Amino acid sequence: MADQREAMAQLFLERDVENFLYHEAELLDERRYEEWLDLLADDVRYWMPMRRNVKLGELEREFTREGQDVNWFDEGKDTLERRVQQILTGVHWAEEPLSRICHMISNVQLLAVTPSVLEPADVTVKSRFLIYRNRVETETDILVGKREDGLRRVDGHWKISRRKVVLDQSVLLSKNLTFFF
Amino acid sequence: MINVRTLEPGTRVALTDGSTVEIVSNPKDGIWVFARYLSSPRDTSLVGTEEMVFAQDMVEIQTTP
Amino acid sequence: MAIAGKRRYTGGLVDVAAGQISREIFVSDEIYAEELERVFTRAWLFVGHESQIPKPGDYFVSGMGEESVILCRDREDRVHVFLNSCRHRGMKVCRYDEGNTPVFTCPYHGWSYATDGKLVGVPYFREAYHSKLDRSQFGLVEVAQLEIYKGTVWATWDPSAPSFLEYLGEFRRYLDLALDAWDGREGGTEVLGGVQKWLIPCNWKFPAENFSGDSYHNISHRSVDLVGIGPSGSGRRDMRERLIGRRLQICFPDRGHQTGAYVLPNEEPTPPAYQHSPVVSEYFRRCEEQRRERLGAWGRVTGAPGELFPNTALHPRQPRSIAVWHPRGAHRTEVWRWYLVDADAPPEVKDFLRQYYIRYSGPAGLTEQDDMENWNYAHAASRGTIARRHPYSYEQGLGFEVENYEWEGLRIPGTVMDVTDSKSSEHNLRNFYRRWAQFMDANSWDELATWRRRP
Ligand code: FES
Ligand SMILES: [Fe+2]
Repeated sequence: MADQREAMAQLFLERDVENFLYHEAELLDERRYEEWLDLLADDVRYWMPMRRNVKLGELEREFTREGQDVNWFDEGKDTLERRVQQILTGVHWAEEPLSRICHMISNVQLLAVTPSVLEPADVTVKSRFLIYRNRVETETDILVGKREDGLRRVDGHWKISRRKVVLDQSVLLSKNLTFFF
Repeated sequence: MINVRTLEPGTRVALTDGSTVEIVSNPKDGIWVFARYLSSPRDTSLVGTEEMVFAQDMVEIQTTP
Repeated sequence: MAIAGKRRYTGGLVDVAAGQISREIFVSDEIYAEELERVFTRAWLFVGHESQIPKPGDYFVSGMGEESVILCRDREDRVHVFLNSCRHRGMKVCRYDEGNTPVFTCPYHGWSYATDGKLVGVPYFREAYHSKLDRSQFGLVEVAQLEIYKGTVWATWDPSAPSFLEYLGEFRRYLDLALDAWDGREGGTEVLGGVQKWLIPCNWKFPAENFSGDSYHNISHRSVDLVGIGPSGSGRRDMRERLIGRRLQICFPDRGHQTGAYVLPNEEPTPPAYQHSPVVSEYFRRCEEQRRERLGAWGRVTGAPGELFPNTALHPRQPRSIAVWHPRGAHRTEVWRWYLVDADAPPEVKDFLRQYYIRYSGPAGLTEQDDMENWNYAHAASRGTIARRHPYSYEQGLGFEVENYEWEGLRIPGTVMDVTDSKSSEHNLRNFYRRWAQFMDANSWDELATWRRRP
C-alpha cells in the first residue's frame, strides 16, 4: 500500500513540475515578464556556461565554470530584473520591436526530490528546450539545449532557485541573447 | 584491431613487418604512438631505437613478453 | 558603381577629406575578397594571451582573418602560431579549442606535426614515399612574425611588415592602459577563463569603427543607462571623470590606431569608482593612488574604447577586455572576446569585475545587445542597389583636430580632438578608414610605413 502511495505521489509530482515548467514558458512567450520574475526565488542562480571542443578524456574542461569563468550568463535575480526592466523601457532596440519567441519544453525528468516525494520541498528537474526566436522580418534563431533546474516549494508554490542552461552550441550562432531560457 | 589511443606505456605490440615494439608514450591521437624497437627482422639496427609507430602497422598486443 | 577595374580607395570610395565613405566597402563581396588579401595578410593581428598556454604542449586555437590558427607552446617553451591546415590535403589538424598535446595529428591520412610545427609522422613514409619525401619542407605553415607584448600574442603573415612595436608606434602607451596592472605596474594582467565567441550579421568594420571612437552612439544605450548596471550601482560605467577632466579622441594617422581617453586635472585625485562594493572600491582607490605616484602626470590618463588597426578592439577601463572582429564574409563577423583582470587582484575584486563584464558585454550583455542590433540592420539596409549609391557621412569635427595637444602640463601623444565641449567627433573613425584605404591601395609595406620616410 505504502509503495503504491509513493508511486502515485511520484506521478502527481511529475505532472505538477511539468505543469509548472509549461506555465513558466507560457509567461515568457506571452511576454508576462514581471509574473515570470515572481516565479524566481530571491536567491536564484541563473547560469549558462560556454562550451569548448575538447578531447575525449578531457571533458571536464568542456564547460566554463560557474562563479569562476566568463559564462554566457552567471547571475542572480537583480540582473534578471534589470533585463526585464530594460525590455520594458521600450528603447531597448535589441528587443524593440519585441521578438516573437516560442519555448518548447520537453523530456522533463525528476532527478532528485528532497526530503521525499510525499512531502517534496526541493526538486531537481532536467528538461530539454527548443527556443524559436523570430524578429523584425526574416531574422530567425533556433536554440536547442538542456536545462537543469532547482525548484523550491514556498508557501505552496514552486519557485525556481537554480537554473543551469546548457546550450548545444560552442560559437554562439545568434547575435545576442536578449531573451530568457 | 587495436585502439591505439588506449595503449599504455610498457605495452608490447607486434607489427606487420614482424617487429616487436614497446610503447614509450602515447599522444592519444589514435593514430601514432612513440615506441622502442625490441626486435626487428627487417632491420636489426632498429633495436633499441625509438620511433613513431603508425596504428595500421600494429597487429596485436603481446600479453606474454 | 562599377567595382571592377583598378581604382583608388583613398579619395575615391573612402573620401576622408570630404568626410564621405561609400557603402560599397561594407557590402561588396569583391571588396571583401580584396581586403582579406590586402589588410588581413599584411597587418598585425591579435591571436591570444600567453596565460592561455602556460605549459609546454599547451595550445589554443585562434583565428587570423578568416583562417584558423594554432597558438601553442613547444617542448622548448617557445611560442608559435601555425596555420591550422595540414600540408598534405588541407585538413584542419586541430579541431579542439584548447588543450595540451605532444603532436597535432591530421585525422585524414595521419600526417603528424610536433608542437614546433615539424612534420614528424608520415604514414608509410618508407613504403609509399620510398623514403623520398622531404619532410623538412612540409611543416605546418608558420606566421612570418610573432610578438608577445605584456602577455598578449600578436602575429602577421607578412615578413616585410615592421616589427610589432614599430607597428604600434606611440599608440603603445594606450595599449598599455589595457595591459598594465591598475596600479601602473607594467604587464600584470591576465585573462579570465572562457573566450566568448559569437556571430553578428554585419561587416567587421561596423564594430571596428564603433570601437574606434563612436561616442555619438551613447544614445543607443539609453535603455541600459535607465536600468543601471554600472559598478557603482547606476548607469553602465563610472563616469565621474567626465565632470572634472577632458574627454579626448586620439588617433595616429600613419598607423591607423585610435582610442578615446580622459585626462584628469593635475590637482584632483581620481574620482571614486566601483562603489557597489567597499572592497572593490578600496582596491581601485589604492591602485589609482599608486598609479599616480608611479606614472606621474601620465597617471592622469584613463583609457576609453579604442581600436588597434585593423580588427582588435580595446576596452581598457570598464569593462576591461580585448575583442577581435574576425571577418566571415562581407556580411558576417565572428567576435572573440577576452576579459582582463589584474593577475594579483584579490578574488573578490576579480569576481566583482567578472560579473560586471558579463552583464555589460557580449551577446548577453545589457549594453552590447543593442550594438549588435544596430550593426546588423545598418548593414542589412545598406546592401540595396539604391542604398549603395549613397555614401555614409563622417563629417563630424572635420578640420578641428589638433597636433601637440596639451592640458595642464601633460602632452598627449597623437592627433587629438578634445570633445569635452563638442560632445562628439568622427575624427577617430575617419582615421580608421584613412588607414584602411591606404592598406587597400598600397602594394607593399614600403608604401605603408610612411613614418620611415620622414627626415
Ligand atoms: S590531409 Fe592531412 S594527412 Fe592528408
Ligand atoms: Fe556600444
